[in-house]
Amino acid sequence: MAQRDITVLKDVALITCVVQRGAAEPIIRAAREAGAQGATVNYGKGMGIRERLGILGVAVEVEKEVIQILVSSEQVDRVFERMYLAGKLDTPGMGIAYITRLDKAATYIPPEVLAKVSAG
Amino acid sequence: MPSEIQYGQFVRESTLKQRSVSYNDLIPKLEVDGQGQPIPYHPPKLKLQSADIYNLLAPYLNVRLIEQVKAVFPLAIYLVLFQILILRQPVQEAVLITGGLGAVILGLMVFMEGLKLGLMPFGEVIGTNLPKKSPLPVVLLIAFLLGIGVTFAEPAIGALQAVGSIVNVEKAPFLRTLLGEWAGTLVLVVGMGVGLAAVLGTARFLYNWSLKPMIYMALIPTIGLTVYCMGNPDLAKILGLAWDCGAVTTGPVTVPLVLALGIGIAASGGKGESSLSGFGIVTLASLFPIIAVLCLAVYVSTVTTPEAIIAAAKASTAIASVPLWHELTPWAEIKGGAQAIIPLVIFLFLVLKLVLREKVQEAGILTYGLVLCVTGMMIFNVGLSYGLAKLGEQSGSMVPAAFNAIPAVAGSPLYTYALGIFIAGMFAWLLGFGATLAEPALNALGQTVETLTNGSFKKNTLMYAVSIGVGFGLTLGVMKIIFEWPIAYMVIIGYTVGIVLTALSSEEFVNVAWDSAGVTTGPITVPLVLAMGLGFGNAVEAVEGFGILSMASICPIVSVLITGLWVQRGSKNKSAA
Repeated sequence: MAQRDITVLKDVALITCVVQRGAAEPIIRAAREAGAQGATVNYGKGMGIRERLGILGVAVEVEKEVIQILVSSEQVDRVFERMYLAGKLDTPGMGIAYITRLDKAATYIPPEVLAKVSAG
Repeated sequence: MPSEIQYGQFVRESTLKQRSVSYNDLIPKLEVDGQGQPIPYHPPKLKLQSADIYNLLAPYLNVRLIEQVKAVFPLAIYLVLFQILILRQPVQEAVLITGGLGAVILGLMVFMEGLKLGLMPFGEVIGTNLPKKSPLPVVLLIAFLLGIGVTFAEPAIGALQAVGSIVNVEKAPFLRTLLGEWAGTLVLVVGMGVGLAAVLGTARFLYNWSLKPMIYMALIPTIGLTVYCMGNPDLAKILGLAWDCGAVTTGPVTVPLVLALGIGIAASGGKGESSLSGFGIVTLASLFPIIAVLCLAVYVSTVTTPEAIIAAAKASTAIASVPLWHELTPWAEIKGGAQAIIPLVIFLFLVLKLVLREKVQEAGILTYGLVLCVTGMMIFNVGLSYGLAKLGEQSGSMVPAAFNAIPAVAGSPLYTYALGIFIAGMFAWLLGFGATLAEPALNALGQTVETLTNGSFKKNTLMYAVSIGVGFGLTLGVMKIIFEWPIAYMVIIGYTVGIVLTALSSEEFVNVAWDSAGVTTGPITVPLVLAMGLGFGNAVEAVEGFGILSMASICPIVSVLITGLWVQRGSKNKSAA
């Protein structure tokens, strides 16, 4: 049996951003324009802010979209900032974003890219 | 000094303007009472600045407002432009109609939000919990009662009563009395039809029945009763109304609420959410009310005679009593709005409390939603009378001026007879096509269908198939009024074609096609088309102007079934090659 090589990626960070249902698209677009390769969206429910807003809480959707984006540790702050601005996260009820440093990631890496990186 | 740095580091340093705050400094200190027990922490209400409140509310209101503006505006513009450019007539009472349309937009916006926050949570809680706690007969009984309740709450149903007063009593006494004295009973039997559809649709979820035999079973009595009524010249005039009622029922309240209940029951019955489980109820809910209305009409014809109705109508106009304050607009509309929603809410609340013994969650939000529902319904009702019904009736009564001499329009007929008829037909076709294509429910259905058929039935294909169907439906309906074709022949021919195509098609296309008839008749299209038909009918001096909506129901069924067969053939050819 031939030995199989796995190339793992290091210096990976995860940006998770929780926003109201339907609000993910502009944030993902901003992230991709800032260099992110792709995004995963999950659906979920949130609680907390609605109760604290009182009657204004009805303007905040309970249903949420959870955006997960993997970026390199060099990109992470730039992408994070763009997402923050695109999602208007400085407004109450709009959502939250956070960064997690990851140990390893593995996925398809185009051979020519791999060759270039290993050579350099 | 390093002689070289990483570009990434440079970018990172040059873009950052972040300020760090420790989260530890933000969280509150938990307090401890005398015995050393921690006191539960309740965060205080946030104090917002006005800019924040604006940022919070602006997108919330914008999205919802634009949704309704998109639905109302193009239709209104189309009608007004047609009237000015083709018929060369100014719009009468333009200010009042504009105000009315504004009320429609505002009312629908408020109502839909209330529906989402107030009524839907009820439906979901009942749908998921009821089957666990109650035996099947109780569940089905509640589904039946819910069907009646949602029919009363349907915004479009108010349009039926609103247009009833236009009907001429001498020409169609039964029609007038059904929409007048019997109007409450009429809505009730329509509701019973919807209730029955909810029961059978739920049973279909549970036992995985095929839709085809159910369609055949429902159509046989419907067509049988139609043929029976056709034989009686007085009863024949209510056929248009009966077939139109089917289209009116499947609106924005009925469909989601009944579906929420049905899907909840199916899920707890262990059948899960099969991809097709959402379909079928809408179809049945548009067929059973027809049977119910026909039965009511036959019953009315046995208890009273046309002569008695005409005499009674004459007597009441002779007295011409001063209407009480609550029978005047806008109070009548406001009363109607409250009457439509409040019984449904009380019913849902009683089921929740007495049958389920479940606590109401988020009572504040729920109350807010219900208040919105009632308010929205009231505003919508006012808009219905002053905006949609007026505009529809006006266009309807003006369009015949293209081919006929109408006293209200100077210089009519405006065009030669053949050209005029063609213009009227085109007008109806474009109205149906455009209004349907803009319907948000159709977009959602198209998406579902594309996923369901793994992309072989494209969303756009379905949307165009349905829209073209509705276009031809409205054209046929208008022709029916102009040439006084009997509606019975038209529906019998239409549904026979539908049945033949159904027998040829596969189950999934049958589901989609029959349901697509239901999504096309939203709260804006229905009153507009109903009022237009009646205005049209009066202008050409036809007996009654109903039947357009029923044509708009059958034609898309046929067009989608044909498209389905065509798509099927295409995919077969592909797999053979």
